[in-house]
Amino acid sequence: MINYALRRLLVAVPMLLGAMSIVFFAMRILPGDPCMAMMGDQATSGALADCSRNLGLNRPLAVQYVDYLWKSVRFDFGSSFRQGYPVSEYIGRMFPHTLVLVLASAVVAALVGIPIGIVSALKRRSPLVDYPLRIFALLGLSMPVFWLGILLLIVFSLRLDLFPLIGGGDLDGALAMLRSGEAFLYPRDFLAAVGDVLWHLALPALALGFTLAATVSRLSRSAMLEVISQDYIRTARSKGQSERAVVYKHALRNMMVPLLTIIGLFVAVALTGTVLTETVFTRPGLGKMLVDAIGARDYPLAQGAITVFTMIIIAVNLVVDLLYAVVDPRITYR
Amino acid sequence: MLRIVVAILVLVSTLIPHPADAQRRKILNIAAKEPDTLDPHSSTLGQSQAIARFMFRGLTRFAIKDGKVTTAEVEPDLAESWTLSPEGTIWTFKLRKGVQFHKGFGELTAEDVKFSFERQIKKAPGTRYGVNLDVIKSIEVVDPHTVQIALKSYDAIFLLRMVGYQQGYIVSKKAMEKMGDGFKWNPVGTGPFYFERHSPREKIVLKAFDKFPTGRPQIDEVHWFDVPEDATKLIGLEKGTFDLLYPEVVTCDFDDQVRKMGAVMDRRGPGSQERFYLDMTHKPFDDIRVRKAFMHAIDRNAIKETLYCRDLARVATSVVPAGYFGHVPMKFPEYNPELAKKLLAEAGYPNGFTIKPYFISKSFFYPKVLTLAQEQLKKVGINLELQVVEHAAYHDNIRKNLNPFVLYGGTRITDADPWLSLFFESTEIPDPATGNKGTNFAHYKGIDDLLAAGRVERDTKKRAAIYHEVQKRLERDLVCLPLQDVPSQWARNPKRVSTPFDPNYGEYSLHYSYNYPELLKILN
Repeated sequence: MINYALRRLLVAVPMLLGAMSIVFFAMRILPGDPCMAMMGDQATSGALADCSRNLGLNRPLAVQYVDYLWKSVRFDFGSSFRQGYPVSEYIGRMFPHTLVLVLASAVVAALVGIPIGIVSALKRRSPLVDYPLRIFALLGLSMPVFWLGILLLIVFSLRLDLFPLIGGGDLDGALAMLRSGEAFLYPRDFLAAVGDVLWHLALPALALGFTLAATVSRLSRSAMLEVISQDYIRTARSKGQSERAVVYKHALRNMMVPLLTIIGLFVAVALTGTVLTETVFTRPGLGKMLVDAIGARDYPLAQGAITVFTMIIIAVNLVVDLLYAVVDPRITYR
Repeated sequence: MLRIVVAILVLVSTLIPHPADAQRRKILNIAAKEPDTLDPHSSTLGQSQAIARFMFRGLTRFAIKDGKVTTAEVEPDLAESWTLSPEGTIWTFKLRKGVQFHKGFGELTAEDVKFSFERQIKKAPGTRYGVNLDVIKSIEVVDPHTVQIALKSYDAIFLLRMVGYQQGYIVSKKAMEKMGDGFKWNPVGTGPFYFERHSPREKIVLKAFDKFPTGRPQIDEVHWFDVPEDATKLIGLEKGTFDLLYPEVVTCDFDDQVRKMGAVMDRRGPGSQERFYLDMTHKPFDDIRVRKAFMHAIDRNAIKETLYCRDLARVATSVVPAGYFGHVPMKFPEYNPELAKKLLAEAGYPNGFTIKPYFISKSFFYPKVLTLAQEQLKKVGINLELQVVEHAAYHDNIRKNLNPFVLYGGTRITDADPWLSLFFESTEIPDPATGNKGTNFAHYKGIDDLLAAGRVERDTKKRAAIYHEVQKRLERDLVCLPLQDVPSQWARNPKRVSTPFDPNYGEYSLHYSYNYPELLKILN
């Protein structure tokens, strides 16, 4: 398995290089000059020339490209054109916000989507169970996250005043307390910071989680339908096992392989979903940062963010591939 | 399962921060976009200039006259007095004593003034306004509280350049030298609020400065939230999350919602002027009859009323906006589509013409104004096939002369000279061949002589007369159609925050913000 993992990691290198090159050239093909984007209608000819020189944009493209790759190898993604922060530091501050959102929405999606998918498959074509659940899934699929997000904000934030309107909560504070060990010295303060994060997280996680739950439920329904049509399920039933035992002992375990594939896909979909969710809920995070960076032609920040997104997707797929062997002993790696 | 969910909800509800603490401190919550830097010399974005005014001051400031803030006159701020040498090229400023920089960086001295201007003149990386100080020949520190600035030639608007705005802000030399690039996000000035912290993509926290010369502000903290969407800002104002909104664009709908929730719009002149430049070197606008036809085809009142109903804007009366020195009302061809068609036919375009593609920014007022103009132009046979692009691409394209007429908006120092120089002097004609990215989109060369004369004229009346003549020539040559003067507008919850100035043009300002944020008060 270690050899397999190493081989996969080696394959990941050209993939990453390809993604980085595509984003490098795509950003430069896009019309719009970074200096112009920064200065807008107050740009003067002299200021634009100074800006271009200071950012190194007056160098030949090939020189910029080699410089970018060489620095990236050393994990130096440069500094944000717009705000001046080192890109790695900036991404380091944004990443936890996106991570908690993806994890929380994964929990919502799994808690809602998987049971719905399983029940829907087990009660296939039941007008009272399957059809309403499939309609529910269709609703989730056709409801864009930004629309659901605004709806949740209006009801739960504006009208009922139960949740905050914007922000990501005191995640920086909670992480700082963990790093310094203060979390154990002042547990009440730490819990307050965690509570603040959860309070801010509830609506975005619901919005993103619900729309993802629809996809998860449809995929788990198909996975379950495939499993329950297998011979061993029929055998288990013919042996007189209860339906509960058939589902939990035989079907669910065998559903894990397709389910893991779903999780791999889920991460990519969820990362895309964070872009809109973070914008609607005005939360800090990688998604919103990436959109802003592209709009502002902030090359280093956009390049850094896409590199991180690519690395996450490669890593998750690798982990998923490795987990196949854990859930299904018949799978071996060579 | 249900028990677990209930237990989590109970735990979370006990941990939700209690608002009592926030209520004890007087916190002003502002919803705006996130600034790109807090170095006041390094950004041209509205939100960055707006927040700079909370932290920085200049040698002079816009004067308060009869309870109103005017951009026509200045009064002492960090400088307590000044003199001008008889030949008009040496300014000597006496600094106010005892003015302190934030965070213990000591007293303001002439060295800080010299440093603040020289870093811009020398075009330190990131600085944007050195061009506004090009008139300076040298700066000399006479003593810790006296600074002498020698100019290359007489400059009628030098005191306006020294206003706490863009290039005029004074930064701490010690802090800048200590922090280097870090100054961008750890600024040190002498303003009423000092920088406390920045959570990127979330908020910036400023705190009241105890040693501010005119006393500590009543507000303890300013929380500047990064909220890009105007819809979210409005929900926040209604909910009470925000006290002040800095909108991206104020439309009738926005104003209606603000009124409905009992909030007010604070309008500050002169604001920004939105206008069309007609490229007189680009066919078919090289023919003055076509330019005239274009102007006859545009119903400025309709555009203004549709976009900025009631008093959200004023129909522009000159290419030099009202409130700028040198302004005089001009006459423009009135709306008359029939006459427009006739002129087009005379110019050889009986069936009109098509501009394809016509690039327009997807941001701010640009798409809104342009789609209205598109409909009006269509009626006389001028068809635009619009291609909506991102704002940066739009700015790029118009400097490559890809649009034969250009929609543009902006604010500058409130004097005809810098304004006209940027938009009508021949040195500002954009040219991709030479890399000139200037803003003379009309490619006009007709007033260079008058601009040169205006710069050396010391008599105020004669100067004004020169700029009146400029406006006459522009009226004759029909190269620019100003549409509307749109004030800088913020929405305010009047039950939470008060300002001493009349919301309706009680202030003239260039900061995209309140001139005197230290005078804002939290009411409950």
